[in-house]
Formats: sequence, C-alpha cells, structure tokens
Amino acid sequence: MLQDIIAGKTALFADGVQTVLRAQENRSRRVVLLKGNLVQNSRSESRGINARVNLQGTYGFASIAEYTSEAADKVIRSATENARFLARHSGRHLDMPSSPETGFVPLNRTIEDTDQKTLIEICQQVDAYVAEKYPDLVSRTVVYTEDSQDRIVYTSDALNGHLVTPRCYIYVMMTAESKSGTPVELFRAFGGFGSFRDQFSHIEDLYPGIDELYRRVKDKAEGIYAEAGYKTVVLGGMMGGMLAHEAVGHTVEADLVYGGSVAGPNLNKTVASELVTMIDYASSVDGVPAPLPVFMDDEGIRGEDALLIENGVLRGYMNDRESAARYNMAPKGNARGWAFSDEPLIRMRNTCILPGTHSVDDLISSVDDGYYLIESGNGQADLTGEFMFGVTCGYEIKHGRLGRALLDTTVSGIAFDMLKTVDMVSDTVQWSSSGFCGKKQRMAVGMGGPHMRCKIMIGGR
Amino acid sequence: MSDLRNKADLMDSILKARHAEKYTYTLSEGEKQELNLENGGFKLMRTVFNNSGSVHIFAGDRMGTASGNDVSEEGLEKLADDAMAAAASSPEDPGHDIAPDQGRDVFRQGVWEPDLDRFLERIQEFLDTASRDYPTVKIMTAIGSFDRWHWISRNTNGTEFEGLGGQYDFSVEICASEDDVTTGLDYTGISVKDLDTPFMELGSMKDHMEAIGNSVHARAMEGKFEGTVILKPELAAEMISVMLVNYAGSGVILDGTSLWLNRIGEQVVSEKLTVALNPYDERIISGERGTDDGFRSENVTVLEKGILKTHLLNLYAANKTGRPVTKNTGFDLVVEPGCMSLDEIIASVDRGLLIGGFSGGQPGVNGEFSGVAKNSFLIEHGKITCAVTETMISGNLGEAFGHIRGISSELCCNGSAVVPYIAMDGIVISGK
Repeated sequence: MLQDIIAGKTALFADGVQTVLRAQENRSRRVVLLKGNLVQNSRSESRGINARVNLQGTYGFASIAEYTSEAADKVIRSATENARFLARHSGRHLDMPSSPETGFVPLNRTIEDTDQKTLIEICQQVDAYVAEKYPDLVSRTVVYTEDSQDRIVYTSDALNGHLVTPRCYIYVMMTAESKSGTPVELFRAFGGFGSFRDQFSHIEDLYPGIDELYRRVKDKAEGIYAEAGYKTVVLGGMMGGMLAHEAVGHTVEADLVYGGSVAGPNLNKTVASELVTMIDYASSVDGVPAPLPVFMDDEGIRGEDALLIENGVLRGYMNDRESAARYNMAPKGNARGWAFSDEPLIRMRNTCILPGTHSVDDLISSVDDGYYLIESGNGQADLTGEFMFGVTCGYEIKHGRLGRALLDTTVSGIAFDMLKTVDMVSDTVQWSSSGFCGKKQRMAVGMGGPHMRCKIMIGGR
Repeated sequence: MSDLRNKADLMDSILKARHAEKYTYTLSEGEKQELNLENGGFKLMRTVFNNSGSVHIFAGDRMGTASGNDVSEEGLEKLADDAMAAAASSPEDPGHDIAPDQGRDVFRQGVWEPDLDRFLERIQEFLDTASRDYPTVKIMTAIGSFDRWHWISRNTNGTEFEGLGGQYDFSVEICASEDDVTTGLDYTGISVKDLDTPFMELGSMKDHMEAIGNSVHARAMEGKFEGTVILKPELAAEMISVMLVNYAGSGVILDGTSLWLNRIGEQVVSEKLTVALNPYDERIISGERGTDDGFRSENVTVLEKGILKTHLLNLYAANKTGRPVTKNTGFDLVVEPGCMSLDEIIASVDRGLLIGGFSGGQPGVNGEFSGVAKNSFLIEHGKITCAVTETMISGNLGEAFGHIRGISSELCCNGSAVVPYIAMDGIVISGK
C-alpha cells in the first residue's frame, strides 16, 4: 500500500491553473497453467507519480516512475511547463470548470497480498479437477490473474483522497474437438473485486461453474454455424452487459459526443424501447457494492451514478470536468487513468441496463425461430452507434425451446435502432467485471444486463 | 547511459549475493514526449519518464519471474527476492531455459535526440493538408509521440545485449461528415526515424483520408452472397498475424490444437502468399534485436509460396515439443508483393468488398471469423460502386488465405509492417 508522502505538495501548485497530483501503484500477479504446464509465473509492481495541469483548456501532463518527494516536485514543474508551452500553440481559451466539492475521500479498504506458492497451488487444484473429471478435452488452461490499483490524489480545487481497487480472477479455458476434428474453445472467468482471500477461500465453489462450462464446450463441439441475417434473439445477461458497454456506453462518452457521435443530436430523444433504462453506476447498485466501485475519479470528482437512458429516452452523457461544463451537466466521476503514466480519460465504471419483469424462461419460450446468445468474448463500437460483439456461446431456439449449440459468431447492429426492437426484458441482471476496455489506455470496467429479446444482425454461413 | 550499466552491474551483485546461479534480466529506461490533439487542435502535452526491470530466475528446473519499474537498489533487491520466491514456488519443469551465449552487442536504432519543433511543424502541416485536401474529414484525435529507449539484457550464459534508440510515431482517428451525416471511425498511423517526409505521404494516410471522405453516404447492404474481399494492407497484416498465432504459435503447438501441427514443408495456404518476420528489413523502423528468450533475433520466413517453413516456437515450447526454437519473437511482418495492381485486382472481381477494417470476434484456434466490414466499399462487375455499412463478413482464416485471388504490387510501409492488398475468394458477405 502507498504511504502518503505528497500531501504537502499542493503548496507547489501554480496559481491560475487547475492541478491534480496523483501517486499510483499497479500490482499484478499471474499464473498460467497450459495442460498442466506452468507457462507463466510472474509478479509485477509498477509505481509512480504524475501531475496534470489545466491552463484554460490546454493540458500539461508529466509522470515519473518513482514515488519520491523529488519526483512529485519534478512532475508538478514539468506538467506546468508543458501546459504553458502547448498553450502558445493550441489557441484554446476555455473557462476552467468550477469545483463542485472539496474535502478528502478516505481509504476504502486495504489490498492483501498472497504468496505465489498459494496462487500456483490453487491453479493446480483447479487444473487437476478439470483434467481428472474431463479427460476427453483436447486442451485446458487455468489462469490466475490479479490487478490492483492504489491511488492517492491531491487537487488544487476538488476532492483529495486515497483509494484502492483490487480485483482477481481465475479463468478456466477448455478446448474440445468437433466431429470434423477442428478445435472449439470456451472460457469462463470466476472472481471479482477484492483480494484472493475474498474470492477464492472455497475453491470448490467454482466446480459447478466449471461443470457447466464443460457441458457447453461439448455442446459447442457438436455445434452448427448460425444462419447469417437479421434475426430475433434472446441476449443473455452477459451479452446485455456487453450491449450496455459497447453499443451504447461508448457513444455517450462525452469526448466521443464532442467528436460527432450519434448521441450528440439525440439528447432527450427516444433512442430505445421504453423498457430500456441504463445507468453507469459509481460505487453501489441498489445499496450493494458495485462490481468495481469508483468512489472518486482522477480529477477529484466524487463518484455518482450517471443516468444515461431513462425509459428509452437519452438523458445524459459520461463526462470529465471539461465536457460536463461544455454540455451543462454535472461531472459524476468518470475521468480515470489506468497506470501512473496515464492521463485521465472519460471511462465507464459499472454500466448496466436495468432489469424488467419477465422470467428468462418467458423470453426463450416466446421465440419461435431464433437464437439464445449467452457469452461474448469481445466487442467494439463506432461513432455511428454501429457495434459488434463476438458470441462464443449460444444456442438456436426452435418453437420456444433450446436447440443445437452455435459455433463462434458475431452480432452487430446500430445501437439506437437495435434498442428500439427490445420488447421483453428479464427480471434479473448478470454482471461481469473481469474485462478491460481499450481507449488509448486499458481500464478495468464492470458491465451488467438482463436477458433481452430483440432483433439483431448475426454473422454466420 | 552509464547509469543503466551501473544498475545492471548492481543487479548482478544482488543476484549473486542471493546465490542465484542461473538467471536473465532486462533493465530499461525510457522517455516519451507526446502531443495529443482533439478535434484538430492541440489539447495535451504529456511527458513520461519510465523505468522497468524484469528478472527470470531458474532454481534447478524451477522458474520464476518478477517485474516492476523501481530500479533503485531497494527496488532491484525486491525484484530479485520476488523472482526467487516465485521460482521456489514453481513446480520442476526442465522445459524452462535461457538461450546459450549470444555474445555481446550494442544495437542503435532510429534517432536519439528528437527535433520536437520540427515534429510539431510536421503535425501542423498534416492538419493543414487534411483541412485543404479533405475538407469533409475531421481529425477527431491525433497523437504524435517521440519515444526514446535504452535497455540492457544479460544472462548467466554470457549474453549481453544493449539497445539504444528512438522513433517518432503519429496516429490519427478520423471520421467524415457532410449534410449532417457522420461516418464511423477510421484509424491509421506511421512510425518514422526522421522527419524528412510529410506525414500525409507516408504509410496509407492518403488512402484512409480519401476512403473516409468517400464513406459519408454509405449504404446498408441487403441479402447474402459468397464473394471476394480485398483486404487493405493494415487489415491484411492484422489477419495474417492472427492466423500465424492461431495456427503456428507456441500455445497451439504446445497443447497440440494447431491445425498446422505436423505440416512443416506442406502447402498450407495459397502459393501466392510469402510471409516473413524480418526485423532487419530497412523499412521496419525498430525491428526486434533480441528475442524474449535471449537469442539474437533473425529474419524468419514463415510461409514461402504458401508452404509452411516453420512454427513460431519460443524456447519453452521448443523444449517441451522437441521442435526447433524460432529466433524471432517480434512481429515485424513483411509480405511479398504480387504482380497485379490494385486496380487490376478490383477489375477482376465480379462481386465483393474492398475492406479497410474488420470489427469482429477474436478468431479461435480453428480460424473461424465473422464480424462487421468497416470502412468498406462494394465492388460490382469490376468497379467500386458505393460505400457500405451494416455489412458482415465471415469465413475461415486458413481457407481464406488458401483462396487468394491476387496480391497487389503496391505495398504499404508504415514503419512497423510491409504489406500489400490481398484479395480472397469464398467469403460470406451479408447484409440485413
């Protein structure tokens, strides 16, 4: 854990600018067993300090891979010089946004370390379970991965604070052989916010999920190609989360709105079925801690929920301080940087489409001819709202019942068109938090969603 | 420079004091100067001073790795302790090893002292040219950076490699708008070691600017057909890289799931395709000089006229499978040009797409892919007819590169890869 050695450095902040000083440590632990072979066994710590200075809308940023008093002095000086140098070329003369709040956000928890031996042994235990119970798999991989952020932030005019975000996961990947002899794969992530002991004290708890993963990869080995075209589908909760993040979330990040995203001209207009309400949660969801809680961002803004779509109407964007002023909205704590050397960008936190009233069975039984899409591997979106996400696990639906499994495929659409086709929403939400979002830098994000019946383009043969 | 060498000597002392008999490490220091532009204007200047250290320690047949960015004496001691603890925790596996003695060498690449004023002028010139020649195109973001690096890598077999260098990178994220209609995003970039040439003239900058400008009034495609797709060079590089990793990489050879497992010397893709990883090609700006395992990097031809010449095995996978190690862990991709011009290839296509980007699910080890064709144009009866949107493509990487219609004589050299246009038949193309 970082010790606070920068509290007194605010005295070095220049007049007439807005300054943020951030010390940060990112820690990672990684163990990879490929068919029982330990192919990765690593521990890493990356620590440093940065300063960002805002001079009328022109920013200077500097970072050093040291956590010392001298390094703090140097980054403050260098960031201030960078802002002044660039201001001579930028032509920007924006009013600097006023501060909504000052004060100190206290440390939210501690980060516990676990020795590498324990991490290897737990991976071996999971690997042995898979190897012994499912010897017909062509290949298997077990990965333990942990990445934690520890941040101390001091600002010239907003909140200060010390916050940590630990998270850890065990990935299980299985490869089975299809009838034609080609391999098919499927993986599942277990874990979430917290340290090893929080998530994996009872490793046997993972076994039912591993058993389900096996059933699905065996189904997939017998799978068929989806029929390409515009289809009625039931998106599973994990796909609903991907939809919230990729299809909608990116288009309502205010920097992309400024760049011309489809959300710009659609504020306060209907962009989805009235069944769709979407929120980017900060630190809690209905009184329970959010999957990856954000109490304060890297501009010193307190984390608050950002309402994005309310009953189908686009109500807001995700902002940093500058964009919030531009769009006359309140910043909610979305400006985040991943590493000590990263400047804060507008990022999602825990983005979720809210549940409806139907059961999952209701949704599936309502489809005469379509697909049930359960798991996604990756996704991307565009300014126009055109999105895609890979589908790694799915089944056909025939006459209201699940049929054959699908081989890997992809779905796509235009977000605000596709969301208008949502006509049934399930009463439960599934969350995931193991992924990274890429936008110049990586960022840990949570995403969640209910099952939804809708129409979507699906790729296939 | 001397400071890093002193730190390396200190690292050796620390490891020897802990009785580490077999190890390899890399220490590095770097500096980045970065200019960020938003909507065509300068917004942020970023300076990053970074260090890093990575240590692999072998205790008998056990191996552990630690890395971090604290290269103070205390930081190096922690690195050594963490790596030793990781090694002690590891199961025994004789597959772990380091390269035999490769001698000592110093690699100097690119430029050491940047000309930041000239760099800024080149960026402004690019913006001015874009504004003048492509008035509908919007530079949403642009990033110009100069990176300087210095690293030292040693192992207990006697190898010492030292690298010093620097390069300029410039990348843009663009869209176009006209009549209140905005296109999707497109991306491109270049890496250079000097500032002699306007950025607009390099890589495929002009092609991207023209293509996005012509994409404003894209049409949603209807129906489904099997046709030809012509991959633009940057996408071709991406697809080839995925194919090589999925069919010939260490992971799939080690676990036996590779579809090219026992096919060295066999025709695995079209005879038109020759692919090499050539870090010493003069068109590659900062090619790999030492591999992750500590070998001196070599140019490696992976596919020669469609015949698989080698897998891409790191030392561990080579030791575990009894196959030869590949002395190349970079991806400095060089694809041989063909004999047709792009115009001739387009003229030969009855129905298909010219594709600038692909947004799809990550292909699995079986090579199946499907996704959205981005920044793409419909080809009908040998002519480009319109830009398309909401159009998907699907196929199989191995099969697709087995059915190459033509490879262009034109090459895109962006500093990190040298790749032509590649046309492939038998791809499923579908719209609404």
